Amino acid sequence: MRVTKGAQIVAGTALLALAVAACGGGASDNGGTAAGGGAETPVRMELGEPQALLVPSNTTETEGSEALGAVFEPLVTYDENKNAVEAAAESITSDDQKTWTIKLKSGYTWHNGEPVVAQNYVDAWNYAANQENAQSAGYFFGRIDGYADLNPGEGKPVTTKTMKGLKAVDDSTLEVTLTAPFSQFKTMLGYTAFYPLPKAAFGPDGKVTQQYGEQPIGQGLFKMDKPYRKGTDQTIDLTVYDKFPGTKPKNWTKLQFKIYTDTDVAFNDLLANNLDIHDSLSPSAISQAKSTLAERYQDQPDAGIGYIGVPLKYNPELNNVDIRKAISMAIDRKTIAETVFSGTRAPADDFINPAIAGYRQGACKACTYNPAEAKKLYDAAGGPKTLELGYNADGGHKEWIEAVANNLRQNLGIEATAKPFEKFASILDDLKAKKYKGLFRMGWAIDYPSAENYLTPIFSTGAIATGSNYGGYSNKKFDELLAKGDQAATTEESLKFYQQADDILIEELPYIPVYFYRNNSGYSTNVKNVKVNLLNQIEWADVEKA
Amino acid sequence: MGRYIIRRLLQSIPVLLGATLLIFTIVFALPGDPIAALAGEKQSNPNLVAILRERYHLNDPLLLQYWHYISGVLFRGDLGINFSEVPVSQLLAGKFQVTLNLALTALIIEALVGVGLGLWAALRRGKATDTMILASTLLLISVPTLVSGFILQYILGVKLKQWTGADIFPIAGIANGLRSYLLPGFVLAGVSIAYLTRLTRTSLAETLRADFIRTATAKGLSRRRVVGRHALRNALIPLITFLGADLGNLMGGAVITERIFNLPGIGLQLFDSVYLREQPVVVGIVTILVLIYIVANLAVDLMYAVLDPRIRYE
Repeated sequence: MRVTKGAQIVAGTALLALAVAACGGGASDNGGTAAGGGAETPVRMELGEPQALLVPSNTTETEGSEALGAVFEPLVTYDENKNAVEAAAESITSDDQKTWTIKLKSGYTWHNGEPVVAQNYVDAWNYAANQENAQSAGYFFGRIDGYADLNPGEGKPVTTKTMKGLKAVDDSTLEVTLTAPFSQFKTMLGYTAFYPLPKAAFGPDGKVTQQYGEQPIGQGLFKMDKPYRKGTDQTIDLTVYDKFPGTKPKNWTKLQFKIYTDTDVAFNDLLANNLDIHDSLSPSAISQAKSTLAERYQDQPDAGIGYIGVPLKYNPELNNVDIRKAISMAIDRKTIAETVFSGTRAPADDFINPAIAGYRQGACKACTYNPAEAKKLYDAAGGPKTLELGYNADGGHKEWIEAVANNLRQNLGIEATAKPFEKFASILDDLKAKKYKGLFRMGWAIDYPSAENYLTPIFSTGAIATGSNYGGYSNKKFDELLAKGDQAATTEESLKFYQQADDILIEELPYIPVYFYRNNSGYSTNVKNVKVNLLNQIEWADVEKA
Repeated sequence: MGRYIIRRLLQSIPVLLGATLLIFTIVFALPGDPIAALAGEKQSNPNLVAILRERYHLNDPLLLQYWHYISGVLFRGDLGINFSEVPVSQLLAGKFQVTLNLALTALIIEALVGVGLGLWAALRRGKATDTMILASTLLLISVPTLVSGFILQYILGVKLKQWTGADIFPIAGIANGLRSYLLPGFVLAGVSIAYLTRLTRTSLAETLRADFIRTATAKGLSRRRVVGRHALRNALIPLITFLGADLGNLMGGAVITERIFNLPGIGLQLFDSVYLREQPVVVGIVTILVLIYIVANLAVDLMYAVLDPRIRYE
């Protein structure tokens, strides 16, 4: 066989190089199961890829929070009545709702053995609030006195490193002064942003190190076995921390988060018993989950809510409240929740979600489907003959927005069309630029489980500039009631004011609530007693191996 | 020979620079502010957005941004960082490996099954076997990867495990070593198998009618030797061309397969990064894909010389 030797060698080498490159990966990937497994099969939990490194103050999405929730113990958790109860804190008290004293429970240590002290909280919160560190959860500290000093604005240097309202009185006492009274402060403290950070988290330059973000040292139930390299690793492996002072799981010690890009794939893994807990079942998986998993399928309210947003500020035509009421009554929420979302949503009948204390069933009268009344009201008020419904095409909203448009067309006899935008931000940009003035899709997931969180950030006058009040709704009385609620001495009293504020929204419908989210989870035959808490995290100490 | 290779590699430099600039510009032109989009649907803190825009040089004009990027790559070997502060080189190293494993598994399956079936069909031309193979390739072409992936995953992954208890084909992830790639590799190779089968069949059938085959048969050579040595080797040239070009396609087009089987590869990463407008990541991935196309094409050209001694490169 006559072949040019050179060509043969080169072609051969190229093929060999590719083959060797391929084999390299196979070998190293095998390590994953061996390290995670050991003698004990871990409890395997579904997770989406965390958005950023695992740093509490830079984690504002559910996946990263879920992973961090296993590594850290929050100051408060939430009981069956949806009220905040102390966890890592011994007591959280205030006389005037402005100066708060947080006493820490003793016995908590970091996973590297050091004791947890009040200064750890001070360090973490100051770091989070400082604009130079560009932490996405920095805004959580906006109510603490001194936040403004750490956030002088774009391009201006930060002259201090600490907030004056935040002090460690001694190793176990933390004193927090707010700029204004806020009765819900205790409720906020269960959120990821408020976790402390150990000394080991900070590098010589005073910034949280990348190494820490890959393997955070916490003070919670689980300790991470090895660093999690985002983008490469498909699991986060954890072991119960022996010195954890709280309740530990009865008969298991290893936890593994398995990272999936598609929740339906994870569902297949659950069916094949390669996964134990799946807490984000998609609508397409629901019917099979119900029949196959039976009692291992769970369905409970989730704190999210979906609205049709009304651009009051940008479209004077919609300022008449009767028009908004008519639109609201023309929407068949039940069919949308049951058919479009396969039962993974519930029809909305309040601005406060059923998962949170303060919800009142059927509070929103205009949220009941009533096409005849809607048509009468709409015609009498002289509503616009054409309406556009903007939605962001990246989040699976097309179907329900088109269903709403269809409702409006049929029931109000107007020209209603769904209009896609590439991202949610593009809708807002076009509204501001006056290029668009139609209705828009809007959703809200809470930052902390308080009725107040459904009101202030979305509808208060202050939120037009700094919050998520995209419609530009403004009502003095509403703002006053919120302020009263913030200053109230007890939880019950504050809730009373918040509900009065809620009543105003129900009367005026600045947005039209359409559905409440529900959380759909399932678990395998390997585990039992799986409970999902208010923050959508599993109560790990309760889970038992079957 | 050596000169030829060096010349080909040098030619690829302007191609690479052009490709990076083009991709960089395209991602730049996408609408919306990538930093503001990081906050999802909540109002992003304008302060934070300003600081991050500054950090990632997003306020600079296009060419200056490109210079920041390309100078980092050329002078410091630094591929930049993405918006969650993970170095692109670290991000891509692991993912690239996954996709390469997947693509090569697919390529091997494709070569074995495709050429095998094509050979069989060509030798049984016009008979029932031939018709059946042609019909089944038609089926493979018409079923989209999305459908075949989910169906095979459900039957071979979920149901087979429920029936037998044995975990033969892992459903998701790469935790089971090279075994993890078998099913996704087959799914990814599906359409190519069909094309390759048809290509092999046609090419071989044509060669079998050539004069030199009649000569070889007349010389008294065995059927095996006539087909294997004389016919197949000559028929291979178009097949090698197809396979070489397909390696790039498989690597770049594995998004759906990677998603179905939860493989953390560059296809998925590319999809996410285009969406998030992470220029360094998108450009990094595309550069690697362009490199692979170049190297694969070079290897194909060199293979011609191996298969057909009349072809020489000077």
